[in-house]
Amino acid sequence: MKLQSENIDSAVITRRTAFLGLGVVGGYGILASRLYYLQVTKAEDYRTLSDNNRFNYNITLPSRGRILDRNGEALAINRQDYRLILIPEQVKNLDATLEKISEILPLQAKTIKRIKTDIKENASFVPILIDDHLNWKTFAALNLKTPKLPGVIPEVGEGRAYPNDGVFAHTLGYVGRADSKDVANDKDPLLRQPTFRIGKLGVESAVDKTLRGKSGKLKVEVNAVGRIVREWPEPNAAAEHGNDVWLTLDAELQRYGAELFEEDSGGLAVIDVVTGELRTLLSMPSYDGNLFVSGLTQEDMNKLNTDERRPQYNKVLSGGYPPASTFKMVVMLAALETGLVNPEDKVFCVGKLRSGNRDFHCWKRRGHGPMDMRAALKNSCDVYFYDLAQTIGIEKIAEMGRKLGLGEKFDIGISGVKSGIVPDAAWKQSKLGAAWRGGDTFNASIGQGFVLTTPLQLAVMAGRIANSEKALQPHLIIGENLSEAGDLGIDPSHLAYVKEAMWSVCEEPGGTAYKPNGLGIKGLEMAGKTGTGQVRGISASERRDRIRKNKELPWKLRDHSVFVGFAPYNAPRFAVACLVEHGGSGAKRAASIARAMLGRALERDGMAEPIATAREAPL
Amino acid sequence: MIGFANSRVSFTAKLFEINWLLVVLIFLVGLVGVIMIFAATDGVWSSGASQHFTRLIVFGIVMLGVALVDTKVWYDLAYPAYAVALLLLVGVEFFGVSVNGSQRWLDLIFIRLQPSEIMKLAIVLALARYFHDLPQWRVSRVSGLFVALVFIILPMSLILRQPDLGTTLLVGATGITLIFLAGVNWKIILSALATSLIAVPLFFRFGLKEYQRARIRTFLDPTIDPTGASYHITQSKIALGSGGVSGKGFMNGTQRQLEYVPENRTDFIFTVIGEEFGLIGSLMTMGLYFAVIALCAWLSYQCKHVFSRLMILGITTTFILYIFINLAMVMGLVPVVGVPLPLISYGGTVIMTVMFGFGLILSAHLHRQNDLPKSHV
Repeated sequence: MKLQSENIDSAVITRRTAFLGLGVVGGYGILASRLYYLQVTKAEDYRTLSDNNRFNYNITLPSRGRILDRNGEALAINRQDYRLILIPEQVKNLDATLEKISEILPLQAKTIKRIKTDIKENASFVPILIDDHLNWKTFAALNLKTPKLPGVIPEVGEGRAYPNDGVFAHTLGYVGRADSKDVANDKDPLLRQPTFRIGKLGVESAVDKTLRGKSGKLKVEVNAVGRIVREWPEPNAAAEHGNDVWLTLDAELQRYGAELFEEDSGGLAVIDVVTGELRTLLSMPSYDGNLFVSGLTQEDMNKLNTDERRPQYNKVLSGGYPPASTFKMVVMLAALETGLVNPEDKVFCVGKLRSGNRDFHCWKRRGHGPMDMRAALKNSCDVYFYDLAQTIGIEKIAEMGRKLGLGEKFDIGISGVKSGIVPDAAWKQSKLGAAWRGGDTFNASIGQGFVLTTPLQLAVMAGRIANSEKALQPHLIIGENLSEAGDLGIDPSHLAYVKEAMWSVCEEPGGTAYKPNGLGIKGLEMAGKTGTGQVRGISASERRDRIRKNKELPWKLRDHSVFVGFAPYNAPRFAVACLVEHGGSGAKRAASIARAMLGRALERDGMAEPIATAREAPL
Repeated sequence: MIGFANSRVSFTAKLFEINWLLVVLIFLVGLVGVIMIFAATDGVWSSGASQHFTRLIVFGIVMLGVALVDTKVWYDLAYPAYAVALLLLVGVEFFGVSVNGSQRWLDLIFIRLQPSEIMKLAIVLALARYFHDLPQWRVSRVSGLFVALVFIILPMSLILRQPDLGTTLLVGATGITLIFLAGVNWKIILSALATSLIAVPLFFRFGLKEYQRARIRTFLDPTIDPTGASYHITQSKIALGSGGVSGKGFMNGTQRQLEYVPENRTDFIFTVIGEEFGLIGSLMTMGLYFAVIALCAWLSYQCKHVFSRLMILGITTTFILYIFINLAMVMGLVPVVGVPLPLISYGGTVIMTVMFGFGLILSAHLHRQNDLPKSHV
């Protein structure tokens, strides 16, 4: 026991210290070789990674070109837009972050779902839009909060805006986020930017490439949470701004047209009969394109979808309507061109014409009495045209209709242009599998039955008649979609006859659209034709008793009111077509709008001074 | 033996006898810390560097004070200190303040105490005294080893409950190192090693519940750690690697400037050294540490008593472990554990512990010839 009570041997401690010392040296060896590996062998790689950390190439968005009217008035502009974006890879806890944001900017469940979908569908470095069109107060509050929220970045950008309360909505269209289809068709990296907007409809879509511009690159130094510390602008890397696009439209004139329409529904086109430039291309009622830019709410959507006047439907380009009596010029010209008909020959109208076992009625129940061609147009006598059509047949009529632009799908650059229907025997056979009947010709002769035209086509028709030489081509976007107007190929003397008859409709007492001093411009006269498009069948019993007045019918069953015309009569400058859905007689609603439009168009063109008295009572 | 055995020897003479080389080396390491904290905080003197410097001075004075106290006093205080530290750890268990989900602090109104820090030194004192008192023949006996292991396991289990795995392992490793230094039979060491090689996986598989296993897996594999520890490591390696041989230059580290490396003022401060001073600066810093370690080993060698020798070596071991774990973590060799780089990382607690420890080392060396009681257990 005593022998063994020796203390721990110091030499043992020394030996063991030396042993551990070797371990320490070994550890130093490992650490030093690791340092060598990191700082020498792999130094280049890590330097690159460090630069990657340090620099980002941010895509800079070009300013979208504006859309201007013919006088340079802006119809689509860019406005400062406050928005909040999020870079997923820098966000630690998404739910908590969104909750923090919600304290200032309430996010709907729908928005959160959209954000999460966006995050899932994109690489983690792609910035995701949380919300845009923020007001200044919210934006300022967010700016105070975001430094504590890594990956959340408030941004001031440009947003599309459409002044004019949607008067140009159908033509301009609107912009929206690029969807998967856009991205698939277009490899431009801009489309992947969350705040980039692509043209979705109308002119915005048609000339998107022109308006869009080119993206730029900006080298930025970012810190660990993605906040930009410094910018390193590089020459030649700036964004190339989009080009402005000019339209042939006259904003002032179009606004006037919208005013004239009031609460009515329909389409209105005013065309320059020399150049084919559209001065007005209006579909009513309209909608506010701004709603689509900021994202339509369910409420807005329901409102648009449930309106029986269908605000989103572009009636002036897409709406196929019976041209009604405005089609009579086609029949007239077709007849004159055959040379088989003497316009002086009279037809006696007794209010109806019997064909086979069916009666075809004139709008005037008691009949017009003896009518020559000019009088038939002036009074819009249906019986005369039944007779005329019967003589020349549908093929000649259809041919003339096509010559005047009906049934043609005009390329004015934007989508939605429809071709309408100019029926003939072949058409009926192929579409309906039935033979053409005499009754079909009767119906077609007064622009009813199978005939369908768009307001744009009617304007072109009036324009071609007014021009008389060239087959006028409508044109909307300056410098785009120009097509050479070929020869019209109709005998000028026949056209002169028709134009004179159209003059009598407007300027001769007794004409269906007669109004003293109608244009309201001294020394200038107009020519035109009314039409009343029937949208319901009138039963024999109703015809026997009393045909109900439009006012007695539900809106949907009332007649369409149509008018085509041009002015000045002796040196045509503008042609117009106006269709008011269920607007009753063509002589009333459509004619008054068209007349006022022609007057204003001439006035704005500096053609003439308005007559003071007419100004006081414009309609 | 003459002269210094006399406790009434003049104060200045005693002060003169302190190993000033170690003091200077420690102060140099501390200055590296001041400079790097200055850089890490974008050159703002008041957001860490000045505090670090002040602490260096204050705890430097404490260190010298500790050095001047006779080793016998530390010998006498060894067990009481251990007992107090243990009690405080128990106190943490019941009255501790929770910070970051970990209950490590004890709020004593005037000071916030971290008992686990005290335990780092207390375990060394206690084991040094235990082996000092233990006759050689009992070191490798079950009775001798058992008590030593209890000394180690008690604080370990308390610290693990906080939970603070880093400190737990640090205390355990220091304790085991001291047992090894005391001269435990190689046979026992090897068989313990072999046993643990078999037992640990078995324990992991059958002794733990699933959630406990998951916790350990997360600790071992940072890539499955959702809190982003792998991000720390990646950015840390980028900082070091991009520094290259000569570094980007003082105050020019982009990783640092752009805040890619989190905690670069504290646990990850070595990334700032590596990025701005490159391989050269990194190795020089490590060399400075090596000088401190080597000198401590030499000081231990000069001591007469087992207590002094083991105390110096134990404290040095803690110091080495700090350095190794921190550097290995920063270089991406081990998972992220919250272990600072001693004397360089910003933070008051560790600098206090470490400098108090160096005070003990200096004291042991200063009183190396003094007598210590020899009371066998």
